[in-house]
Amino acid sequence: MRDVLQVSALRTHFFTHAGVVKAVDGVDFTVRKGEVMGLVGESGSGKSITGFSILGLIDPPGRIVDGSIRFNGAEIANAPEPALQKLRGNRIAMIFQDPMMTLNPVLRIDTQMIEAIQAHESVPRQTAWERSRDALGLVGIPSPEERLRAYPHQLSGGMRQRVAIATAFLNRPDLIIADEPTTALDVTIQAQIIHEAQKLTRQTGTAMIWITHDLAVVAGLADHISVMYAGRIVEQGATDDVIDRPLHPYTVGLLGSVPSANKRGQRLYQIEGMTPNMLAMPKGCAFAPRCRAATPDCQTAPPITEVDGRRLRCHYPQVQGAAP
Amino acid sequence: MTAPLLEIRGVSKRFTKRLDVAGKIAQHLGSKIREETVHAVDAVDLSIAPGEVLGLVGESGCGKSTLGRVVAGIHGASDGQILYDGTDIAALTGAEKRAATLAIQMIFQDPFASLNPRMRVEDIIGEAPRVHGLVSTSDTSDYVEEVMGKVGLDPSLKRRYPHQFSGGQRQRIGIARALAVKPKFLVCDEAIAALDVSIQAQVINLFMDLRQKLGLTYLFISHDLSVVEHIADRVALMYLGRIVESAPTEELFAAPKHPYTKALLAEAPRLDQRKRDFAPIEGEIPSPLDPPPGCHFNPRCPLAREDCRARRPMLETISPTRAVACHHWTET
Repeated sequence: MRDVLQVSALRTHFFTHAGVVKAVDGVDFTVRKGEVMGLVGESGSGKSITGFSILGLIDPPGRIVDGSIRFNGAEIANAPEPALQKLRGNRIAMIFQDPMMTLNPVLRIDTQMIEAIQAHESVPRQTAWERSRDALGLVGIPSPEERLRAYPHQLSGGMRQRVAIATAFLNRPDLIIADEPTTALDVTIQAQIIHEAQKLTRQTGTAMIWITHDLAVVAGLADHISVMYAGRIVEQGATDDVIDRPLHPYTVGLLGSVPSANKRGQRLYQIEGMTPNMLAMPKGCAFAPRCRAATPDCQTAPPITEVDGRRLRCHYPQVQGAAP
Repeated sequence: MTAPLLEIRGVSKRFTKRLDVAGKIAQHLGSKIREETVHAVDAVDLSIAPGEVLGLVGESGCGKSTLGRVVAGIHGASDGQILYDGTDIAALTGAEKRAATLAIQMIFQDPFASLNPRMRVEDIIGEAPRVHGLVSTSDTSDYVEEVMGKVGLDPSLKRRYPHQFSGGQRQRIGIARALAVKPKFLVCDEAIAALDVSIQAQVINLFMDLRQKLGLTYLFISHDLSVVEHIADRVALMYLGRIVESAPTEELFAAPKHPYTKALLAEAPRLDQRKRDFAPIEGEIPSPLDPPPGCHFNPRCPLAREDCRARRPMLETISPTRAVACHHWTET
């Protein structure tokens, strides 16, 4: 399959009064056509900033200081604003955790969706309206003609997120970046949204980056998983490999701390401590202070190595699933 | 069977939006405007044995938090009784009432909103036991340190303010505040939902340790099935103000009876399922302002028929440990 997106050595730093925050610090990954990549991390790991960087949505004091983002072969890192505007909402679309980030509260749904089409294509209003209606139908919204006349506040949270997804798919983009799109939703609604997103990527061949903190969601959805910690991808590989045989101690710990049936009533594995302060990052491996396998070697940053079909940043991969 | 520590008997909670002056005038002039009533909790019966962890599961708007607040005494019940140790809390007075109220404490979801930002940690934790005379003013400081130690907080940080702590630490402060009055029963309302995965594990472990050390009983309210499956002995499911099923955790997860329980279990994402096809149940939870007649789940239910729209199914006991509210549970 064709590569839609190649990100290499991406660094996005924020130059604040208190110091430089290296929110994204050397991230590499590739997303192919029709593929879903799960980008997993805890709050502050830089997963959302990675998504914003691809769309060129980094505001001062932040900027992309290094690295390349190639979309369909063309370099788009630090591309001029008009070029990015042609891509946004057209070839690359984003779905946010809060659908009200996408929707304008004072405009009707039809106004917003038609605008999203006509911004990139000169089509008659009627055609744009029909495409909007069909898009709402595709994401499972009942009576789409009526819904088009509604304002966002007249819809439930799940319905708004569907509208945001329909809007993202309007121009048949090559890539969709979904940033925690189901985190605020209930279990049954989450399943509906994932179902719609899954169906649409299969039908249209759109590639997707699904950013989340929830390993269980990407386990059922993604082809590949990248686990981020403190601005770096620490482990990257096929979903089955990463979930069933994690190698990085952080991934091992994350998976161990997810409650599930086979550990019922037992103590959960817990990663001690908390994510490091982004202004005062530990030297070397950022995870070392919380890592049980850490030795003085971890004072030097581990290089990216290929182990068992995976890309890994660790001096001491937990081969054989050396269970905690 | 041991006598329950806490028993909820036919508890309902209704919220009514009263008409303002303009509304009353409009009504007088023939407008169809009227008072709106939300049945947040609708005739719920539950009992919790000493030392038990009861998981209360449901989606947003199902009334699980309201029920938790009624149990904790934050809201008064519109109908029904809450029995603590066999006596109706509402019927108690004076010292007895105070003892019963102190014995039930609550831990909230948002560790940012539930702590007063202008109070030091030692005052947040120490205020209630001092006011209630559990410790003398001169001993408060030592007592606060002891409670902080119990929940894994460094006692040397007691002079700090809440904003100087991380989310997980703040949740520990909330737990310490509840434990400071020596409760027997904790209502945990989505107490770990706002935390990161690795921090969630730390707090779940803390809850389990405290249960063992202090012999606590929990009402553990959550939307997250995997957390409840891990921590609870028994689970009750709520849908639009009513309990639809209750069962011991293992039996419920092995063989759910109510169609709603089945749907929830099938749709919760799990680590062991790969590249699955998500096949969700249709529709959304209806507005509690205008719930469907009969069984509240009928518009989304694959088994729904005429009688489901006509009659409300009561919670019926189907085995010594299980109860389900469905006309057609035998067909599931």
